Amino acid sequence: MSQFLEKIKSFTLWELLVGMKLTGRYLFSKKVTIQFPEESTPTSPRFRGLHALRRYPNGEERCIACKLCEAVCPALAITIEAAPRADNSRRTTVYEIDLFKCIYCGFCEESCPVDSIVETTLKNYHFTQRGQNIMNKQELLAIGDEFEQDIARDKADDAAFR
Amino acid sequence: MKIEIEIDGKSFEVEPGKMIIEVADAAGIVIPRFCYHKKLSVAANCRMCLVDVEKSRKPLPACATPVTPGMVVRTRSKLALDAQKAVMEFLLINHPLDCPICDQGGQCELQDIALGYGSDNSRYDQGKRSVKDKNLGPLIETEMTRCIHCTRCVRFGREIAGISEMGSIGRGEDTEIGTYVEKSLTSELSANIIDLCPVGALTNKPFRYRARAWELTQHSGVSPHDCVGSNLHIHTRRNAVMRVVPKENEGINETWISDRDRFSCEGLSSPERVTSPQLKRHGQWETVDWQTALQTVVEALQDVTEHHSADRIGGIISPNATVEELFLFQKLLRGMGCHNIDHRITQTDFHYQQAMPTYPKLPVSIADIEQQELIVVIGGNTQHEQPLIHHRIRKAWDNGAKVIMINPVDFEFNFTPTQTLLVENRRLPEALTGVTRCLAESQQDTEIAKDLLQSVAVTPAHREVADALLSAKAPLILLGAGAQNHPQAGLMYALAERMAQLSNGNVGLLTAGANAAGAWLVGAVPHRGPTGLNVSKPALDVQRMWESELPAYVLFNVEPEHDCANSAKALKALSQAALVICLTSYKTPAMEQYADIILPIASFAETPGTFINVEGRWQSFQAAVIPKGESRPGWKVLRVLGNLLSLDGFNYVVNTEVTDELRSLATTNTPEQPAGPWRYPSHLPTVSEGVERFCYWPIYRSDSVVRHSQPLQKTPLSETPVVTMSPQLAQRLGLEAGTEVKVSQGGDAVVLQVCISHRMVGDTVGIAAGFLETAGLAESFGTVKIERI
Ligand code: SF4
Ligand code: SF4
Ligand code: SF4
Ligand code: FES
Repeated sequence: MSQFLEKIKSFTLWELLVGMKLTGRYLFSKKVTIQFPEESTPTSPRFRGLHALRRYPNGEERCIACKLCEAVCPALAITIEAAPRADNSRRTTVYEIDLFKCIYCGFCEESCPVDSIVETTLKNYHFTQRGQNIMNKQELLAIGDEFEQDIARDKADDAAFR
Repeated sequence: MKIEIEIDGKSFEVEPGKMIIEVADAAGIVIPRFCYHKKLSVAANCRMCLVDVEKSRKPLPACATPVTPGMVVRTRSKLALDAQKAVMEFLLINHPLDCPICDQGGQCELQDIALGYGSDNSRYDQGKRSVKDKNLGPLIETEMTRCIHCTRCVRFGREIAGISEMGSIGRGEDTEIGTYVEKSLTSELSANIIDLCPVGALTNKPFRYRARAWELTQHSGVSPHDCVGSNLHIHTRRNAVMRVVPKENEGINETWISDRDRFSCEGLSSPERVTSPQLKRHGQWETVDWQTALQTVVEALQDVTEHHSADRIGGIISPNATVEELFLFQKLLRGMGCHNIDHRITQTDFHYQQAMPTYPKLPVSIADIEQQELIVVIGGNTQHEQPLIHHRIRKAWDNGAKVIMINPVDFEFNFTPTQTLLVENRRLPEALTGVTRCLAESQQDTEIAKDLLQSVAVTPAHREVADALLSAKAPLILLGAGAQNHPQAGLMYALAERMAQLSNGNVGLLTAGANAAGAWLVGAVPHRGPTGLNVSKPALDVQRMWESELPAYVLFNVEPEHDCANSAKALKALSQAALVICLTSYKTPAMEQYADIILPIASFAETPGTFINVEGRWQSFQAAVIPKGESRPGWKVLRVLGNLLSLDGFNYVVNTEVTDELRSLATTNTPEQPAGPWRYPSHLPTVSEGVERFCYWPIYRSDSVVRHSQPLQKTPLSETPVVTMSPQLAQRLGLEAGTEVKVSQGGDAVVLQVCISHRMVGDTVGIAAGFLETAGLAESFGTVKIERI
């Protein structure tokens, strides 16, 4: 009897139909694949991506060259040189982050007394040339300028949990 | 008689009269403090050190409470801690809470103590006061809002620097610390208030914002600018010297260093540093590699030995060179058969050299200077020449000692000497002879130098000095730069020794440079080899070397136009020489003219080495950073030259082998007795008539590193090249301050501005060395003609 049934199953391609049933179910169910780059996964406001240096609304850079981020960075990714600016305020002359060394721990952001260095939610970036991995002060400030609104919103969203 | 007290459950036997905080510090018990400093008087105004003393209802300040028998102190009881926390809260009421932008952050006493005794939150919600910053000059930056009124800086000025420049103005909320009238600080020790200030109110201006304390690596070093040998901590970061701070050494510099020691490091990064070997080919300077440069040096030196002879080479080395460098320098030249070696570049008279001890050494230690009963300084502006020895002299004066100055200029000191005997520079020997005659007559010992003594008349001033010498138990006579560089230096040294003999005292030389003692010991003098052994044929001293116009000169870290006495003579000799080899850290415009080969050598903090200070103390140090560019430590360059010249005994691997060799020579060789006693002349040399130049090196022109330190050059103590004269002389010559005059001497002339100072005496005019503008005069102590142009 069972042999007979086996024969029928094999002639009617029953196993294939069982497999196709699963395929069919997924064919019509809601998709999880996203269409990168047109689509992207949602990120938390706490996401630790590319760094940025922020400015105050009046355009003044926030960073006061206290060097706490440089000191706290466990990967020694941050290099700062400081000097008095023309108005005798304390400012960095060099501010560099080596993104190859960085482990995206977010300690720099944590340590900054003026919310200057932040890790944005930007995660899609690449380097085509040796040396591009070292972000300098101008580049970091430019990122900050471009995404200031997003950064501010993320900070505000996260404020309640801090 | 000792008394017993108890602190935190431990008993201590202590001297009565000590304060609780001293006992606690010695025992390693930490009591927080701001105003107390062991080198300053007790002010007890910060109240941070409150401790709980049994049988006292209120907590007492540990810094101002003397110990009493059976006293029981608790530094961590609830009463004590509550009191300390309350004081901390008061201090933070007006202190800004912005450590991240403060330059003291990370090295701040207030920050540290606030961590232990402060609260996490402020209860104070009113406006904080702010105070306008003061301008204290190019060395010290101020942020007076941070000041907590501990008055350490005020007490430092009064008690250590000897000049009350800082003070506290106003009361209560309005208290401010500052100079009463805005001005730069003028003390040569001023920057020590940076270390004293417990907060970020006073900070190092050239270092401002350039690094955090936690980034710096600390190296020990020794100051290369004077014979004191102050101990330093050199702070470096990424192979650059960032700043210099004092390293405590009770026997030498206590907790202080002079501004010159602290800020000279700014000269290390000067653009005038030579960073690669250079050759002059057809009048053009070319940068070459070491191989080529050294080969050229060797060939050139061999050429001189063949065509002339080795003793037609002149070797002149800076007294700031290390023992290793000095030793190898003389070994190299002597190996080639040349004994023309000298380090006494500022001196003009060498008559006494045979009678000199193996190396000059103070008869007392630096620390013992403050115990002296009578100190006589001859020809010395000690405050500028050796600031920390002067500090000891001032301490002696403070302890009640008599201090007598015998000087050609009424130098400004930070205390009033008991007596100042002012004479024209050319009459200094006469003054000493007068004093010696008084002493000899009182001691009835007039046989020695009879004719000489008879040839001068005694004045009341001479007698006053002699009486002071006789009434003191063991007077200390110090000869400063003015005496050592004097054209009659030999006679003056002999007379000073005679004065000491007759008054049961001691003579000491305050030598030029950091390592004159080392230079004498290794034999960087023409008449003696290492450890004071006489050489077979005495050779030329530095002045004879210039006068003989030799065909070849080797200069080690010497800029003759700035560093040498009789500079025009030196420049003339160098410009006629066929070969001038400069081992140097800096290139000067004049050097570009006279030099043929420049080998860049390491400067201060870049080379390991040893200095022997004025009390004969050997102090070795390591390099703190690697030399700039292609420069190499001087001793290594000399070693390789020795190898390339195929001389024996140049196979050193580390610099300590050089000092070891010198030490073993010093134990096996017994220095011979000075060759023949000094013979006094029968009368004083005739004194020339007319206006006479007195040459001195201003404090911030003393060596090449200092001269390249921009902050030091901007201080009020830094001088400009002028001709300084007394009002009487100016009137006689019909000159006013600021007039441009032509100062001529024989065929040489320079143009300088007139400066009028009541500190000048008679016909002596002060024309400093260390400037290119004054380098054109051939005699540092000769007569000059001054004409209006
Ligand atoms: S995220 Fe972490 S590793 Fe990266 S720079 Fe900041 S502190 Fe350094
Ligand atoms: S980014 Fe922030 S933590 Fe880093 S130096 Fe600047 S102010 Fe200090
Ligand atoms: S400036 Fe500094 S040393 Fe002077 S009183 Fe204020 S806190 Fe004290
Ligand atoms: S340290 Fe005692 S009161 Fe200031």
